[in-house]
Amino acid sequence: MAEQTSPPTAHHVGRAQLLVCAGTGCVSGRSLKVREALLEEIDKRGLKDEVKIVATGCQGFCAQGPIMIFQPDGIFYQKLKPEDVPLLVEEHLIKGRPVEKFMYVPSAGEPPIPKLSDIDFFNKQRLIVLRNRGLIDPEKIDEYIGREGYQALAKVLASMTPEEVIDEMTRSGLRGRGGAGFPTGVKWGFTRKAPGDDKCIICNADEGDPGAFMDRSIIESDPFSVLEGMAIGAYAIGASHGYVYIREEYPLAMERLHIAIDQAREYGLLGEDIFGCGLNFDISVFRGAGAFVCGEETSLISSLEGRMPEPRVRPPFPAQSGVWNMPTNINNVETWANVPVIMRRGAEWFSSIGTDTSKGTKVFSVVGNVNNTGLVEVPMGTTLREIVFGIGGGIPNGRKFKAVQTGGPSGGCIPASLLDLTIDYERLGEVGSIMGSGGLIVMDERTCMVDVARYFLEFLVDESCGKCTPCREGVAQMHGILERICAGQGRDDDIEMLIELAEYVKDSSLCALGGTAPNPVLSTLKYFRDEYTAHIADGKCPAGVCKALIQYSISADACKGCTKCARVCPVGAITGAKKQPHTLDRSKCIKCGACYESCSFDAVLVE
Amino acid sequence: MARIGVFVCWCGSNIAETVDSPAVAAYARTLPSVVVARDYRYTCSEPGQRMITDAIREYGLTGVLVASCSPRMHEATFRKTAATVGLNPYMLEMANIREHCSWVHTDREKATAKAKDLVRLMVEKLRRNRPLAPIVVPVTQRVMVVGAGIAGIQVALDVAAAGYEVVLVERKPSIGGHMAQLDETFPTLDCSQCILTPRMVDIMQSDKIKLYTYAEVESVDGYIGNFNVKVRKKARSVDVDKCTGCGDCFNNCMSRNKISVPERVSVAESMDQEMKNTLDVILEPATGEHGMLISVLQDIQKKYNYLPPDALRYTSERLNVPLSRTYGLARFYNSFSLTPRGKNLVRVCMGTACHVKGAGLILQALERLLDVKAGETTEDGDFTLEPVRCLGCCGLAPVMTINDDLYGAVTQAKLPKILERYRKQAPAAVTPGGTDQTAPSDVMAGETVDA
Ligand SMILES: Cc1cc2nc3c(=O)[nH]c(=O)nc-3n(C[C@H](O)[C@H](O)[C@H](O)COP(=O)(O)O)c2cc1C
Repeated sequence: MAEQTSPPTAHHVGRAQLLVCAGTGCVSGRSLKVREALLEEIDKRGLKDEVKIVATGCQGFCAQGPIMIFQPDGIFYQKLKPEDVPLLVEEHLIKGRPVEKFMYVPSAGEPPIPKLSDIDFFNKQRLIVLRNRGLIDPEKIDEYIGREGYQALAKVLASMTPEEVIDEMTRSGLRGRGGAGFPTGVKWGFTRKAPGDDKCIICNADEGDPGAFMDRSIIESDPFSVLEGMAIGAYAIGASHGYVYIREEYPLAMERLHIAIDQAREYGLLGEDIFGCGLNFDISVFRGAGAFVCGEETSLISSLEGRMPEPRVRPPFPAQSGVWNMPTNINNVETWANVPVIMRRGAEWFSSIGTDTSKGTKVFSVVGNVNNTGLVEVPMGTTLREIVFGIGGGIPNGRKFKAVQTGGPSGGCIPASLLDLTIDYERLGEVGSIMGSGGLIVMDERTCMVDVARYFLEFLVDESCGKCTPCREGVAQMHGILERICAGQGRDDDIEMLIELAEYVKDSSLCALGGTAPNPVLSTLKYFRDEYTAHIADGKCPAGVCKALIQYSISADACKGCTKCARVCPVGAITGAKKQPHTLDRSKCIKCGACYESCSFDAVLVE
Repeated sequence: MARIGVFVCWCGSNIAETVDSPAVAAYARTLPSVVVARDYRYTCSEPGQRMITDAIREYGLTGVLVASCSPRMHEATFRKTAATVGLNPYMLEMANIREHCSWVHTDREKATAKAKDLVRLMVEKLRRNRPLAPIVVPVTQRVMVVGAGIAGIQVALDVAAAGYEVVLVERKPSIGGHMAQLDETFPTLDCSQCILTPRMVDIMQSDKIKLYTYAEVESVDGYIGNFNVKVRKKARSVDVDKCTGCGDCFNNCMSRNKISVPERVSVAESMDQEMKNTLDVILEPATGEHGMLISVLQDIQKKYNYLPPDALRYTSERLNVPLSRTYGLARFYNSFSLTPRGKNLVRVCMGTACHVKGAGLILQALERLLDVKAGETTEDGDFTLEPVRCLGCCGLAPVMTINDDLYGAVTQAKLPKILERYRKQAPAAVTPGGTDQTAPSDVMAGETVDA
């Protein structure tokens, strides 16, 4: 937490600062209405000059939203509604009594934790990339500058040659956060050395992995760190133009990015002759149109140029010939956001964090079946157990942990026996997964691993661009087999066939989309083969997910007759009198799971 | 009555390891007309051949089937053997149970079953065979290729390269066919002209190829090696030897019948003029610029909430991009729709976090509630239901959005209420659909519009 202690200094004001999260998650929970209510209430009580309300970017603790931090006390409030505001202002601001009922409760029955710094979710993290999250208004460049923003660019321009910058980056050991983990300094060096009058840099904000939202959150909470990183990169590489390729599903991030670029231009931090040091560099935003393969660098370049976004063979690498044939350097959002801190604090400091091969921190989106879902940043080398049970607070509803999935559709599932694995690029690769962009999906005993493999392959079949045959046809065949297994029609030799196909697809696909497509299947087969055989040989889905293999029923003992299930059943298959055990008519049941989802007493059974 | 003998070979272990040769022989004995069937380790060996000749004599066979390797290997061998004892060589057939069976399969049971099938087929053929006598006929060593598209051109060049004369006939005045009309070819998007034009030149330069363009095949008779073909050359009224291809006659021809080049009809006149004006504004900054196609399509989609066909045609025309590319892009990206969307766009996140929290069931519940399949629009045009890859709000899983509103932690039970909000606001009079649809995008945001 060292990096997150001092509050913003730029507009320091009187008595209190209320930091209201305005990330996508909290906004959907009406946090902007909460902010309006606060403004109104404070105005009404004549506290306008003493209390400042800041709309911050994503604070990462999305499941608890809308959230607010009360400074200087550091009190964390969660799940606020606009109606709660008068009480909150009255109690906390006027009477100085923090309000317990809006505080975080780790688990039912335990006392609430008032301070943000005492909550495990926050205090076990180490914030480098997310150093400004929740502390600045992402739409105000002054607040970024107030937190040491643009000092790195000033230092670089005033006192370092481009070669020295590249050397510093290389020594820092920073590796690409977009998935493959290529050393960033080395990549910059290639592009710098490539012949060409003009060069180009790209920030890859396509974030195609389902279940990951680090890049969105970074841009929403601290867009300037990305812009500053890119300006430093432009200087080191010798590029006059940069693009941010951002996916269209992120409207708020896009808006903040545009605002940030406009403000940076106004301050002379983008455009001609930056800092009066002769650096000319500007950035345009390019909006993607929803295609996973566009995250792959060669495909992204084609997409930028308005051609069919299909990957092409490398070499030539983008560093040799990229956008409009210019040498082009592509890095991920999180990679860029690391750059200013590294330049400011130096390679030695950065490389002291992390493991032998993987330096610094990594941002993960810890989601799925875990108590504290949200965005976490931890040093490389943290164990999965620490992330899932320490920060994540374990599995909800007392269920059993089954696996974590990392690396999106190119990654794999890691079982409970490997919870003590320390996370870095190499360790994850060894167990059959990858670091990927940082999606970390926690799965409990109610998740079917065959279904998960089927899910990822369905995704990949849809997203395969169709250019090369192994990926287009091979992945589709594998998906067909998994569909069959999930439908209860698996054949004895299906597993061998899956493995054989997987090898072909892996070895012969054109780009990494196909090259890594079999991973979800191979890793689930490696650790959860018994689930496959249960589907094929016994016709059972042990997790109770695959429709064709399950039946619902109601336990007469557990049912309290609350009638909820009968009300949600869309086909009227459940009957029963109030306060009497209900019954389910299997001949009518369409297995939609609505009853299972709604029952508060675990009385709906699935087998 | 045919009297057939069947000889099933082991080929050492080549066949016998995967095919149960004795079982195949036993099966052959049950087939009609088969009077003897044997299996043997090496049928092509001396003793193996003797076994065949002995059987022909002993059983008075009228046909022999050897089930062994490819006829390319030993058909001649066995036919000669059979002929030594007076059997017409064409009454000996082979069933290929090695290359077509044992070598390509691993499952012994299934391979044996397939070998039996092959034997049965060939026995049936033998039952219908008639003794043949070889004859010699002269062959004209010249090849005619009909149609000078890319395939015809390549065949003509290959045959000419092998040293034979070729007659290439093409109905149109010029060669090249469909390939000449394409910009890029599937799936590698190679430039089709770069593939075609060198070959067109080769055709003209080859002294082995006689090219008849603007000519049609009228009749074909005769048989292999001795065809008689009648080709009608249409009146061209141009001395091909003198023509330089300058095109002046073509351009100045007063006749309506401008030879075979279809006239390009601009969509600008036939399309809705209001749409044209709107598009002109969108397209203005992009004209003459590279790489603006996607943002243009995004703007058009924003305006019409889908990509109307005329808009795509007009965009291609103005930006001078092949229509195939514009359509290609429009179909490639998930966010473009080629059919009109409803007034409210319901998107269900299918990200991994949402998946493990039951997004699939939420989508199915919405399909039931709206009575549409994913990707479709309700009949009244109120809702379009679309699954999306990931909305990046994984902490709130499962997530859905309606227009610009995001709903986190949705359950099936909450859905009817959520939808109801948008139904109420839905104005009755605005019906999306058709190319003249001008529903502004703010209608999509679920605001009330005066009917
Ligand atoms: C199918 C596929 C999808 C990808 N998607 C992304 C993405 O969404 N975001 C990203 O930063 N990199 C993505 N990548 C990796 C990029 O190709 C590239 O390696 C990365 O942007 C380089 O940046 P880095 O060195 O900072 O990691 C993807 C790669 C593949 C093969």
